[in-house]
Amino acid sequence: MIEISNVSKSYNKGKVKAVDDLSLVVKPGEIFGFLGPNGAGKTTTIKMIVGLLKPDSGKIAVNGLDTQTDALRCKALTTYVPDYPAVYERLTGLEYLNFIGDVYGVPKSDRLARIEKWLEVFELGGAVSNPIQSYSHGMKQKIVLMAALLPAPEVMVMDEPMVGLDPRAAFQLKELMREHCDQGQTLFFSTHIMEVAEKLCDRIGIINKGRLVACGTMAELKQMDRAETSLEDIFLELTEK
Amino acid sequence: MKRLASLVRVGLRSNFGLSLLRYRIFQQKKDLWLVPVMGLAVFGVGSLLYGYLSLIKGFYGILKAMGQEQALPGFVLLMGQFLILVFGLYYVISAFYFSRDLEMLIPLPLKPGEVLLSKFTVILVNEYLTMAPLVLPMLITFGALSKAGWGYWVNGLAVYLLLPVIPLCLVTALTIGLMRAVNLSRKKDVLIIVGSLVLIVLGFGFQVMVSRSMGADPDPQALAKMFASPDSILNRVGRNFPPSIWAAKALAGGFGRSGLLNLALLAAVSAAGFGAILVLARKLFYGGLVGVGEISGRKKPLTAREMSQRISSGRRPVKAVFLREWRVMNRTPIFLINGILTAFIIPLIFVIMATMGDRGGDGAFMLRALTSAGSPTTSILTAAAFMMVCGCLNGTSSSTFSREGKLFWMSRVIPVSPREQVRAKFYHSYLVTLLGIATSLAVLLIGLKLKPLHCLAGLGLALVGAVGLTAVGMTIDLARPLLEWTNPQKAIKQNLNVVFGMLADMGLLALVGYLLFRLSAAGVRPAGLVLIALAALAVLSGLGWRLLMGLAERRYQEIEV
Repeated sequence: MIEISNVSKSYNKGKVKAVDDLSLVVKPGEIFGFLGPNGAGKTTTIKMIVGLLKPDSGKIAVNGLDTQTDALRCKALTTYVPDYPAVYERLTGLEYLNFIGDVYGVPKSDRLARIEKWLEVFELGGAVSNPIQSYSHGMKQKIVLMAALLPAPEVMVMDEPMVGLDPRAAFQLKELMREHCDQGQTLFFSTHIMEVAEKLCDRIGIINKGRLVACGTMAELKQMDRAETSLEDIFLELTEK
Repeated sequence: MKRLASLVRVGLRSNFGLSLLRYRIFQQKKDLWLVPVMGLAVFGVGSLLYGYLSLIKGFYGILKAMGQEQALPGFVLLMGQFLILVFGLYYVISAFYFSRDLEMLIPLPLKPGEVLLSKFTVILVNEYLTMAPLVLPMLITFGALSKAGWGYWVNGLAVYLLLPVIPLCLVTALTIGLMRAVNLSRKKDVLIIVGSLVLIVLGFGFQVMVSRSMGADPDPQALAKMFASPDSILNRVGRNFPPSIWAAKALAGGFGRSGLLNLALLAAVSAAGFGAILVLARKLFYGGLVGVGEISGRKKPLTAREMSQRISSGRRPVKAVFLREWRVMNRTPIFLINGILTAFIIPLIFVIMATMGDRGGDGAFMLRALTSAGSPTTSILTAAAFMMVCGCLNGTSSSTFSREGKLFWMSRVIPVSPREQVRAKFYHSYLVTLLGIATSLAVLLIGLKLKPLHCLAGLGLALVGAVGLTAVGMTIDLARPLLEWTNPQKAIKQNLNVVFGMLADMGLLALVGYLLFRLSAAGVRPAGLVLIALAALAVLSGLGWRLLMGLAERRYQEIEV
């Protein structure tokens, strides 16, 4: 579960408000889609959830633990996929996965079973012992996703995880996301692909200029304005203001 | 031409981080502290400059008395060009082949010559700055002392602008040729390292050559010959690299026939070198460049048994972070050359110089004199200082956080406490230090034939002291890590933290040395001095470790990625 309470974050000594008094709750077993135009505050919010940025005010809790005061325990429950696949390119795929397994303390049997499963799903079996430097953008994205899935975390936070994936891998990822949350775990992700958000998410939040302008299930969002028929229309309407 | 100018402008901005710095200072108001620090640096450099100017003045007086004052600019210009050879190598390799902006530049509708020329210009500007502290004070002081006329000052400006061109052309030609050859092979990284080593050896050979041409004891006849004409010492100094003679004669000759002829010669050879680089660029540059980032990987899946063998088990965060550091450092050629290989090379250079037939370098001479001194205490303390200097002067500890660059986000999100991560990084830096200590120990034992017992005692002191020096280097980097880089060279070679780390280490060792000197003067017994040195280094290490660990928790929270 993720609880964000009255969180604000600004840059340039308060001149640019990236996130403005944001509050929302993502429940266990829920896939939460976070939408917004470029520069709306999505990545800043995500970075505050995973502890990369410190909120100026407000509180964020993961499974009831404060991300600031209980940072280490929160990190042990959370994995993060950034908006670009930045990984240790000089390591092999397997060395990178082992590194993640070692720091999250994944037992060998679980580690082996999961890695073999994801290698098959993402078709990376032939490349896992090669340096990540030799991977394509999509392959790098897949290894980052595998690393995020490896600890079977309580909470997964992903920043535009579909970017760079081929249609098959994107489909597999959506299946995995659903499977992950069906086991009672939480998933928070940002995306620009309305169709994915519409079909996959249990609830959707739309952020614009740092403020949450809408939040709810797809049905609830549609109820906000009866004239709007698709998420894309709702998004355009809400973020135009 | 407009396109080239634009390319050069972007290159300079990116190289010096001007746009980013302006944004951080004026928009984000983040690096405002840099302004007073720069002021302090100017002050610090000012005091060093004063010492250097006094030295030049002193040498000028001596050489003037012998009628050989032309040797002074000849020597300094030669040293300037040597500096360019050494630094140029790193600048060229990283700017031409490891800079990530190349991925953006290659697809643009630019000629290879334009890309190379813009990079060459950026390196040239770097070189003007690199040699400025060495060459400019000499040019100005020499001109003022010799009451030089207009010819000297005009030629001086031209000489300064031309000075780096020839050595830089040499390094560029060598690098382009090497990279083209390397690119034919699959093992690029290994060959890059070997190539760099060859160039380092060449540079070192050049220094030895200069040292020999300067230091050999002349017989009376040769001595008499040396003073026969006003440029005989100059010719002797620069005989292995004539451009420095032409430059010095261009200065001395002013607008006279000799001055203009030598300037024309320097300009013509520089232009020819530049032309040759352009031709090489057209023929070889992109050929060596395209595919540098390519790594061919086998496409064979691991068998179930292989997979099981390679999967590690359990929670072992310190070991995992240590292994990551070790692998990333060893597999990134720039990090490997500057870190681990330097730890090996510095002691070896000392031993080669110390065992050379003549006097060798000043440092090597001093080391040989101190370790062979009658007093065991002097031998032990010198051996310890030598091991610590060789172990810690490689920049591994003072770039340990900077080397992570933008990947520092990973260290922020993994569930490993900052203290554990810093501990793992310390083990890695200390291991590299140990490599330097081990090599220098071998140098002392085999090269300088120091008594094993003295070596052992020195080793004990060095192992204790190196803890503190490693911790201090890491603390400096942790206080302000340089994470914004696109070229790994910047993280270690062009990282001020590495310079500050070295200065701090040298300062601390000098402080301990001064303390021991005062105690020795006060009549403390030799055995007591060694024990006091051990205690002082242990205190330094304890304090350094506490400072580092104390800073770890705070800084890992503060550094925003």
